[in-house]
Formats: sequence, C-alpha cells, structure tokens
Amino acid sequence: MTRRVLALASGRIAAAVLAAIAVLALFGPLLAPHDPLATGDHPLAGASGAHWLGTDYLGRDVLSRLLDGSRVSVLGSLEVAFTALAVGAVPGILSVHLGRVFEWVTLRLADTLVALPFLLFAVAVVALLGNGLTQAMLVTGALVSPLFYRVARAATLAVARSPYVEAAIVSGASTGWIVRRHVWAKVLPPIAVALAQTVGVGFVIVSSLTFLGIGVQPPAPTWGGLLASDLGYLGHQPWAPLAPALLIMVTVWACNLLADAVRDVSGEAGRALTGRPGARPDQRSETAPAPSGGV
Amino acid sequence: MTTTEAPAPYGVPLPAVAARTRHTLGRVLAALARSAAIFVPVFLVATFVTFALRSLSGLSPARIQLGEEATPEAVARVEAQWGLDRPFLVQYGDWFGDVLHGRLGTSWTNGADISTLIGLGLAVSLSVAAFALLIGVVAGFALGTVAALRRTTWVDRAITGFVTVISVMPAFVVGIVLVTVFSVGLHLFPSAGYVPAEQGLGPWLAHITLPAVALSFDVVADVARQLRGSLVGAYRENYVTGAVVRGLSPRRIFFGHVLRNGLGPALATLGLKFPALVGASVVTEWIFGLQGFGRFANDSAQAGDVPAVQGVLVVSIVLVVAFNLLVDLVLARVTPASRRGV
Repeated sequence: MTRRVLALASGRIAAAVLAAIAVLALFGPLLAPHDPLATGDHPLAGASGAHWLGTDYLGRDVLSRLLDGSRVSVLGSLEVAFTALAVGAVPGILSVHLGRVFEWVTLRLADTLVALPFLLFAVAVVALLGNGLTQAMLVTGALVSPLFYRVARAATLAVARSPYVEAAIVSGASTGWIVRRHVWAKVLPPIAVALAQTVGVGFVIVSSLTFLGIGVQPPAPTWGGLLASDLGYLGHQPWAPLAPALLIMVTVWACNLLADAVRDVSGEAGRALTGRPGARPDQRSETAPAPSGGV
Repeated sequence: MTTTEAPAPYGVPLPAVAARTRHTLGRVLAALARSAAIFVPVFLVATFVTFALRSLSGLSPARIQLGEEATPEAVARVEAQWGLDRPFLVQYGDWFGDVLHGRLGTSWTNGADISTLIGLGLAVSLSVAAFALLIGVVAGFALGTVAALRRTTWVDRAITGFVTVISVMPAFVVGIVLVTVFSVGLHLFPSAGYVPAEQGLGPWLAHITLPAVALSFDVVADVARQLRGSLVGAYRENYVTGAVVRGLSPRRIFFGHVLRNGLGPALATLGLKFPALVGASVVTEWIFGLQGFGRFANDSAQAGDVPAVQGVLVVSIVLVVAFNLLVDLVLARVTPASRRGV
C-alpha cells in the first residue's frame, strides 16, 4: 500500500512534508542556531542574518524556538492518534464478534465520547489531574477514539457478511483466527485513513493546549506558546504569528492529504478486488464524519 | 418543531388530515425516543466520569481556601463543611440530584453560585456560537451547492481548493489572523470584549463578528464538503434520471429531489460540529477577551475549582445533546431518507 500511495503526486507531497516535520522533531534542537531559552539584547527585532525569523519580546531567537518546540507537537499528536487507535479500533472489530451485550455497551460508550467537547475535557482533565501534556494527549486520544471504533466496526461488518468468512465459520475456524486472517486486512486501509486524519487533529489539539499554556512549563518553547506570546505584541510585530501558524496549518494539511491519498488507493484496491465499480470497502468510512480540523 | 401540518386544503376529508397529523406526530415521537435512548446512558456515564474527576485529582477546597500550609485538622474541617468526608457514591447521588434540579453547587474559589456564573458566560458564548453556525450554514450551503451544480468545472475546483485551505486552519490561528488584520491593522473591529445585545445591536455584532468568523471556518468547510458530496451523489440516482426523463425543470429536480435527499449528511455534520464549536470557544474566547463559557472553563480548570469544572462539563454535555436532538428532529422532518429509517 505504501508504494501505491507514493505513486500518487499528492501522496508524495504529503509524505515529503511529514518527513520534513519528522526531521524537525528528531533533530530540531540540534538544528537550532541559538539557544531557544537564551534572552538577547534586541527584543522584538525583525528578520536578520543572525535571527532569520526575528526575536520575541525577550530577545529570544524565534527560529530556534520553533525548531525546539516541534518535538512536543509531533510527539503529542502521535500520542493522540495511537491512543485513539488502540482504544477505538480493537473494540470496533470485536463489537461485531463478541455478542450483543459487548456491542451495545461499546456503542453507547462511543456515543458518549462523541458527545463530549474534547478540547473542553482535555483542558479540564489536564488542569485537574496534573500539568502534563501526556495525560492530556491520552485523554484526548480516548475522546476521539469513536472515529476508529466506527471505521473499524463498519469495515468488520462488511467482511463478516462476506461469503468467505461465512465459509470459514462453517468450516469451524475460531473467531480469533478469522479476525487475524480475514478481517484485519480489510480493516487496515480505513484505519490508516483515520490515523492520518487523527494525527492532524492531534496537532491542532496540542497547539491549542500549549497556546492556552496548559501542559508545558513556561520557558519551554511550543508552537502554540509562540502564537500566544505573539498575540501580546501584534502592534509591534503583526507578521510574527505567520511562521508558527503556517507550520501548524501545513502539517495538518499534509496529514489530510495523506489520508485522502490512502483512501484513493484503497478505494481502487477495493474495485480491483471485487471487479464492481460501486463496491468500495471504505465506503462507510467515507460517509462517516471526519474529525474536525479545528477542534 | 411543529407537530401539526398546514391547514387542510379544500376537498380533503378531515380523517385524512388527522391521520397525516398522527403520522407526523409519530415520527417526531420516534425521533425523540431514539434520541432519548442515546441521551440517558450518555448523560449517566458522562456525569459519573465528570464527578469522579474530583476523587482522581485529589484536589480539595481546603487547599484553595487555606493554602498549602494548612494543618490536617483544618483541612478535614473545611472538607467536612463541603461534605467531602462522606462516601463517594453518596456524594455522587446528592450532586446528581442537584444537577437534575439545575443546581450546580458553589465555586470553591469565591463561593459564588456556579449556575449563575455559567449562565452569564453562556449568554456570550451562545451569541458567538449561534452567529458562527449561521455563517457556517449560509456560507457552507452556498459553497457546497454551487460546487455541486457546477461539478467538475473550474468553479468546483476553486471552491474545493478554498474549502481545503480553510479546513486546515484551526480556530485560534484564524482568530489571531483576524485580530491582526481587522483590529490591529485596519481598526475595523474591537479586538476584545463583549457588549450585550440590549446595549445596541451594532456594538453587539461588532464584538461577536470576529470570534464567530474564526469559529465558523471549520463549519463552513465541513458543511460545504459534505453537501457537495451528497448532492453529487444524489444527482447520480435513478430517480433524478427519471425526473429528467419526465421533463421536470432543473429547479424542480434540485429542490424536490436532489436537495431533499442530499441534505441529510450535511445536517448530521452540523450536529457533530457543535461539540467542536463548544470546545474551540475555550481558545477563541481567550484570544478575543470574551468572558464566556469557554473562558470560565479554562479559568476554573487552571484554578483547580473542581465543582465549577464539573458544572461546565455537565452544561456542555446538555448543550451538545440538546443541539443533536434539534438536528435529529429537523432531519426527521426534512429528509425522506430518515423517514425510511436509514
């Protein structure tokens, strides 16, 4: 699937952007030309040879702070996505196989989580349960997990009604074997789509929380924190929010682009397999509402 | 939602009208019952989780009132005053009973009535959210419909591109850009604060326009995308081909068949957008200096004021569920698809 996603122009662009962001996250602190915490003599300076993106209100180098803050955003959004995957996808698959009681309970839980405004809950939980971004991301991951639950359940339902699974049941295969052998391959593409979308949502949530100053201690730089401090000096530096804002938006856009590329590829795969133009295995996931881009 | 149909047209016998009214009423009741079946468990689970937050956090009003240096006896005395020395389930039962009566308790930080505080904030936040929804629905419907009517032309591609761009702009980023351009740069709008509608419609609109626009981008993008998709899908259906063959006008086909069938997903999206709107108000109200619901949530959470946070969460759940109920009812009324129970 990876090769076919990269065969698409949009897939290549998305992968390139996300790879660049990953490099920033891994090596950002090393690439930073200045100490991101060192205050300087020239606060609120414009772009110059020494400070490519200028300095903030304490004279700290903005580029260094951006680079240094990328790790928090990337780690946080991955935490959201993989928590949601673990919490949502597994019950989603099992809800089809484990009987009506489990199905009813998990469906109601998914309904509940969808009804909660997750940024509000993330703020509440982090503030009350301790000032760490990891807790916030785990909670947010649990709150956005219904997306994975629904996507995985829809794909599993489609497979469970197929003749070859019925044949496997008749020939006495265990539920675990059927899930591993048949269901998993069908559930994977829509889950990959949801994963890419959720990473994008995660970025927005990390940025929003750090913007509010939740989850990270003040001197440590974050993309959201940069935006928050820029807000106070718009009169002096109206262009200052541009760099962190563009970084956040480009990253979210690349995640959505990748999600679309994966969806296109797996849609074609579905057509190729069944030979029917209308039969797309991820049709349910397409009509299922995508998570919001802005929280 | 009205449960009665239009007055009986001449010549239609009364029993038929009564039967139709009963039918409509039944549909509305069915939609209500379906929503209630989801609402009740949601509310129970969500309030329980919310209430468990206090025990999990280990926060206490004594810390806020007495400071970190308080003796254990003093802490115990204050906690007994607040009734926190009772068993967990008893506390939950009392609190839940109060919540059902609309009483959300008193704030740990200033002893004020939380229901009153939230009510004050809601006036601000609901003004902004309603305006944002209005912008989102109008702009989203316009963009989605135009894109679907001019599908696969440059108009469609331009709209799709525009929608993609605004869909990746988080509300707080839009908010900052709007403040920079329209308040700091052009001085067209006030950058912060709120004026109630009673003090004049102009100032009220001026204060809520920027936050509403910031919140609406996400709604515009989702409604436009969803509506375009379902309208294009509806145009491919056999009944549209049939209508064309029957010689119906394009206008009649669009309003009578395509729009009615394609409306469902876009309306359902609106129901799902509402929690996001409530959540994003935390950030936008911070940017625009509005003392609303989201700001109250953020301030209470950061102050460790547990009852206030619980109140905020309960109110947000009720808001979300009520809004979804409204969407369900509209859906049950408008779209043929939901009448079929799809």
